[in-house]
Amino acid sequence: MSVKGERLVPEGLLLLRNNILSKGNIFGASSKAKWAKGLALSPQGETLFFAGCGYQFLDGAEATLSAVRALDKRGLPWERTLGATSLLNKLGINLGEIYGRLTHHSPLSDNPLRSAVEVLKRMDIGFGYFAEEEPCCGGPLYYAGFQKEFADRAASTQRTLHERGIKKVIGMVPSCTYALRELFPRFLKGWEVEVSHFLEVVWERMKKGMRFRLPQEVTVTYHDPCVLSRNLYVTEAPREILRSIEGVRFAEVERNNKEWSTCCGGGGGFEVIFPEISHTLATNRVRELLNTGASLIVTSCPGCLIQLREGVKELNAEGVQVLDMAQLLRNALPEG
Amino acid sequence: MSTFKSYKKRLREAARDPKISVALERAIASYRKNVEEALKKFPHTLKMAEKVRRIKERSISHMEELVEKACEAIRANKGKAFVARTPAEALEIIDGIVGSGKLIVKGKSLTGEEIDLREHLEERGNEVYETDLGEYIIQLLGIKPMHLLAPAIHVPKEDVAELLSRVTGTQVPPDIQAEVATVRGILRDKFFRADIGMSGANVVAADTGTLFQIENEGNIRLSTAAPPVYIVLVGMEKVVPTIEDAFKVAEVTWRFAGYTVPAYVNLVSGPSKTGDIEKVITYGAHGPKEMYVIFLDAGRSQLAQDPTFREALYCLRCGGCLYECPLFAVTAGRFGDKYFGGIGAIWTAFVTGDLAKASPLTYSCLSCGRCKVRCPMEIDSPQMCLELRNRIVAEAEGGPSAKRS
Repeated sequence: MSVKGERLVPEGLLLLRNNILSKGNIFGASSKAKWAKGLALSPQGETLFFAGCGYQFLDGAEATLSAVRALDKRGLPWERTLGATSLLNKLGINLGEIYGRLTHHSPLSDNPLRSAVEVLKRMDIGFGYFAEEEPCCGGPLYYAGFQKEFADRAASTQRTLHERGIKKVIGMVPSCTYALRELFPRFLKGWEVEVSHFLEVVWERMKKGMRFRLPQEVTVTYHDPCVLSRNLYVTEAPREILRSIEGVRFAEVERNNKEWSTCCGGGGGFEVIFPEISHTLATNRVRELLNTGASLIVTSCPGCLIQLREGVKELNAEGVQVLDMAQLLRNALPEG
Repeated sequence: MSTFKSYKKRLREAARDPKISVALERAIASYRKNVEEALKKFPHTLKMAEKVRRIKERSISHMEELVEKACEAIRANKGKAFVARTPAEALEIIDGIVGSGKLIVKGKSLTGEEIDLREHLEERGNEVYETDLGEYIIQLLGIKPMHLLAPAIHVPKEDVAELLSRVTGTQVPPDIQAEVATVRGILRDKFFRADIGMSGANVVAADTGTLFQIENEGNIRLSTAAPPVYIVLVGMEKVVPTIEDAFKVAEVTWRFAGYTVPAYVNLVSGPSKTGDIEKVITYGAHGPKEMYVIFLDAGRSQLAQDPTFREALYCLRCGGCLYECPLFAVTAGRFGDKYFGGIGAIWTAFVTGDLAKASPLTYSCLSCGRCKVRCPMEIDSPQMCLELRNRIVAEAEGGPSAKRS
């Protein structure tokens, strides 16, 4: 890219692109399947469990982003830190993981993917997971404006899925799901894979009469991830799920719900271009959510999870937790 | 400092300014309440918005033709009409009419803002008064508007009192009534002494050459009626085929701007005239004797040819999208150049042709999509912002842009 280009396209997004192109994931990390350690997930099956970068690197992402925010607030050139991150990654050192270990924010066993896997298994929904071979959806390339690179990445993902006989995908990350479901057909010929989001799959099965119950009653509000509500129109499934879990008192956020939901401030690469403002927006959204009186905020997107947790921290909201829907469901699984 | 860096700095300063977020919080709450009430009272507006979308689609695909027709209609009404292809051309035409040393009263106009009209006229030795209250405050403060309908949205009454005290040399209390009365006093005399009145237009009917202006203060009425010469600067995209279409566009615009019914809708088709003495038509009765209409292209005809971005021209400038944008809620007009928000990124790219200016704006869009839910024209600004990024990348790499299959 020319010098001129460096000025037009934000540095954070150029790094992101380079990471995807060189390592097949947004963080440029060398391993993506660490979260699945000990789960013995099979790579076989017609249905693919598409974990996505956001969840697979949740801990590292959370730690890196909060480091970047701290620098940005002090007016320090955090882009260079990200640059250093990618350099270190090239040397096999993952800064995000180190931050993660240092801050010890959430133990590996807490990764929403582990909950999701457990819930799907208990629902007898079969799937395969490609682990280290999971291709990148390329969505961040599309969002950053690298449509050509996105098209190439999509084509290569299509080949992989075709070779391995995949007919259906269960997407975990809303933006991966959107890329596979809506963008792939626009950019590819012959894309026939049926793509669903985790929440849709779960609700389909719950409708048929599987009972979930929380050990104690709790007031829960739901944050609609933008892509899920406004791009994929998945707004009823999460509410139906919450309403049918025994022990959940569902409290809807005023006005700003479903298609009117307020963004958590982490969309379209915004968080890596304007870290401090992104933090402010997260805090604003959490304020809306807490007006419901809920002590538990549930959502279904790794980006939203990170943002909302930051907002809760900023507001010093005592006793308020942010969980992924998969985690809530796992906590409410029937005995046995 | 690069454009991007200085933009980021300004954006961050705005986001840290509690005045902006507090003012916006109030404005957003009242806007939402007003629109909800307006739509409840006039539920036909939603269906009408669908019709207006089709009117705009048709109009933009025949933009050149319609502008030509509007010019002919205005000329038939004894007005003068021009098409300016560039801001420089528009300013040249205006200079030719205005000259220098004139007193000018002006209605608020984004199109004027686009070509820095007031600054230009002042440089040419004219005395120019913005007559919209918010815009007047902005002018006195020497700053840039922060919102298209409420430019001084971030300035509290205490600051306004201080400002007006300074201007009048007497103590103006921080009381909104008193402030409004003070400005009325200052501007009243200007309206009637002015050599020239200026305004924009919300929509133009090609068949009759009628310009529609929606307002509440009455300043546009006075600016366009009291002075002997009246100049209108309007974007080419504002023209629709018939006056019936224009009424629909106007009604949808004001309702989504949060007004159940605006205090005034001005319809102006030509200079003032009378035939009351011996049925001889004589121009310049009580209103202006001369009327000039300048249609501004400045990238619009190129935009109309572009299937990916054409939709941006359907924008009615109701401002509804801005009240739904989480970033605008904390930064107001800092998320923008002349035009604000996600749609502003597209407008900036096409009307200025300057990608260095448009790039930070398009990368500021969260692509959250709530603006589209609000937009009466269902304009997909977030999607256009993503497409603009793709153009910017292609431009930066000097290669052709990726084509969708």
